[in-house]
Amino acid sequence: MSLHQDQGEDEAIRLDVPALGPYARVSRLAITGLASRSGCTYDEVEDVRIAVGEVFGLLVQPAAPTGRIRFICRVRDDELEISAERVPPAPIPSVTDLSRQILDAVTDESTIDEAGGRITMRKHQARPS
Amino acid sequence: MTLDEDERAYLRTRFLEYHQTRDLAIRDELVAANLRLALHLARKYDHRGISLDDLEQVASLGLLQAVDRFDPTRGLEFSTFATPTIVGELRRHFRDKGWAVRVPRRVQELHVRLNTLVADLTHQHGRSPTIDELAAAARASTEEVLEAMEAAQAYRSHSIDAKGPSKSGDPEGAPGELGVDDLGLFEAENRLLVEDLLAHLTPRDQLLVRLRYYEEMTQHQIAARLGISQMHVSRRLARCLDDLRRRVSAVQR
Repeated sequence: MSLHQDQGEDEAIRLDVPALGPYARVSRLAITGLASRSGCTYDEVEDVRIAVGEVFGLLVQPAAPTGRIRFICRVRDDELEISAERVPPAPIPSVTDLSRQILDAVTDESTIDEAGGRITMRKHQARPS
Repeated sequence: MTLDEDERAYLRTRFLEYHQTRDLAIRDELVAANLRLALHLARKYDHRGISLDDLEQVASLGLLQAVDRFDPTRGLEFSTFATPTIVGELRRHFRDKGWAVRVPRRVQELHVRLNTLVADLTHQHGRSPTIDELAAAARASTEEVLEAMEAAQAYRSHSIDAKGPSKSGDPEGAPGELGVDDLGLFEAENRLLVEDLLAHLTPRDQLLVRLRYYEEMTQHQIAARLGISQMHVSRRLARCLDDLRRRVSAVQR
């Protein structure tokens, strides 16, 4: 696993893990850590955790447990953007209605590119006053 | 339990003898004489996902500890002293067995504590607390809080506070909360009203309500699917239903 800052105008953080079930937990923990650092509330962190778990489940292909999953996270003023993809690229086999409902419910915006094997989502943060 | 006065007087003298001599033969006799109490308490926790055999064994161990620790010179009835010890053992067993994946005790305890803290702080601030606020209230680090939230994943639904299975055969027997059926909220003719009401909930809460009452998933299934704890599902649903109930009565007024 690598967690390092990307070169760029915003602070992008990459997380690259084997596409195997147990790494779902590692991914959730790392990315919720980032969400919490950027000031997300408990409910928002819980949303991010559900979203990352769901995305991981969609990208892992149980029939062919090879390859890796790469998350790229960007923290902006009031928003966390998370994109996730298979490395090497592979289409997402089946996206159920339930998966879409879950992502819609826990993120402010989510896009699933099934053919390209990439999922992008955004989570706005309400700043505690 | 149902010992007569002679038996009780006899056992009191035996307890005094054991207290002085620590003779294991007397201990066995005292355990045997009080076994009915342990088995009775074990049965109270039956039908909650742990076999009665296991429960009886745990209760018997609790009884053994109680016999060892009982001080007959203090004038307390043995059953009064032993019951909390045995129940304590049973509860600890449920708590330990409730974790499908080995999660360190301190994380388990923090996880349980967080549930109360989240509710308290949400009430206090009128919004969801930040992780830093939770950590400060729990006297833990933010990493520990995140780990405890993640540990929810490993928590199974065995709960000592759950009711046993109800007579209607509802396997959920969930912690005394929902009472949704009496609302008749989810009958077909009410769906339009419900759709209106649901729009007031956050998207995640809407999802939980839909999964529970439209898809008819159990709380346990929802928790497993979303990777959150059943306690969390239960708490959110209870809050959603409270909110819906309030809005329904406002509409009816």
